[in-house]
Amino acid sequence: MKLIINGRGKDIDCKNVSGLLRMLSLNKDAVAVELNKNLVHRQDFDNTQLKSNDKLEIVVAVGGG
Amino acid sequence: MKDSKLKIGEFEFNSRLIMGTGKYANFEVMNQAHEASGADVVTVALRRVNFEDKTQNILHFIDTKLTILPNTAGCYTAEEAIRTARLARELGMPDWIKLEVIGDQKTLMPDNEETLKATKILVEEGFTVLAYTNDDIVYAKKFEEAGAASVMPLGSPIGSGQGILNPNNIKIILENAKVPIIVDAGVGTASDAAIAMELGADGVLMNSGIALAKDPVRMARAMKLAVESGRLAFLAGRMPKKLYASASSPIEGNIK
Repeated sequence: MKLIINGRGKDIDCKNVSGLLRMLSLNKDAVAVELNKNLVHRQDFDNTQLKSNDKLEIVVAVGGG
Repeated sequence: MKDSKLKIGEFEFNSRLIMGTGKYANFEVMNQAHEASGADVVTVALRRVNFEDKTQNILHFIDTKLTILPNTAGCYTAEEAIRTARLARELGMPDWIKLEVIGDQKTLMPDNEETLKATKILVEEGFTVLAYTNDDIVYAKKFEEAGAASVMPLGSPIGSGQGILNPNNIKIILENAKVPIIVDAGVGTASDAAIAMELGADGVLMNSGIALAKDPVRMARAMKLAVESGRLAFLAGRMPKKLYASASSPIEGNIK
């Protein structure tokens, strides 16, 4: 299905947020996730299902002032 | 007589110098600079994961003794800043946020209207809000009244190193404030930091001033001393400025 991740369209098949992070080889402890502008709590990664055209923001802490 | 600690909401720190983590050549220099500065708090930003470089997570590289203050740098609307703050909290950082909502890309001047909107909502959601702003004394009061735990007026534009261009307004903000005032942005060298503290600021936040120095670790040490000496000078109560001279040596008894 088509997902928009960090502003870019991607064709990925995954059930839930946990699955998505696994497919993207992302450490789920290092990132925070937003689905359609709503924060997804870490404890809900497993039970937050994804559907086509969902928009995700996956962020990480970086250097800044 | 010892100085009190820097108290921001429920947070308490010994050091009145807060540092950033951006623009360093590498993490080793960054950590050495943090160490040399004596800072207790460092800021980080939040960005979209770069799928080509997954080693980005800076939290992995920062000294665990430090308290991390996430920022909303790069946000141009209250909505973006609020979402960023929530994401930062979810990453496990303490419940506080350096709220930056920018109004102009070239100068990185704050959009005070959007910042105030975001302050109110984030305070309601339980965040300890440190509001980055300019030296507008009216808005400084508004942020305080909206529940900001600290107001952070810039000395000059972010990354410009121009120092404290507006000491008079910062002094007025300090006079009116009931929350800690931390000068954030524009500190370029040690004397800038000392000046901010001599005015009575509760602390100074800087990034480029140290990161972009030729020798960041040495500059970090300079900034540590500058913040301490500026604070001591403020607490010591400086002598008044006078228009005319006032001799320091006795005026009588000299040979003729």
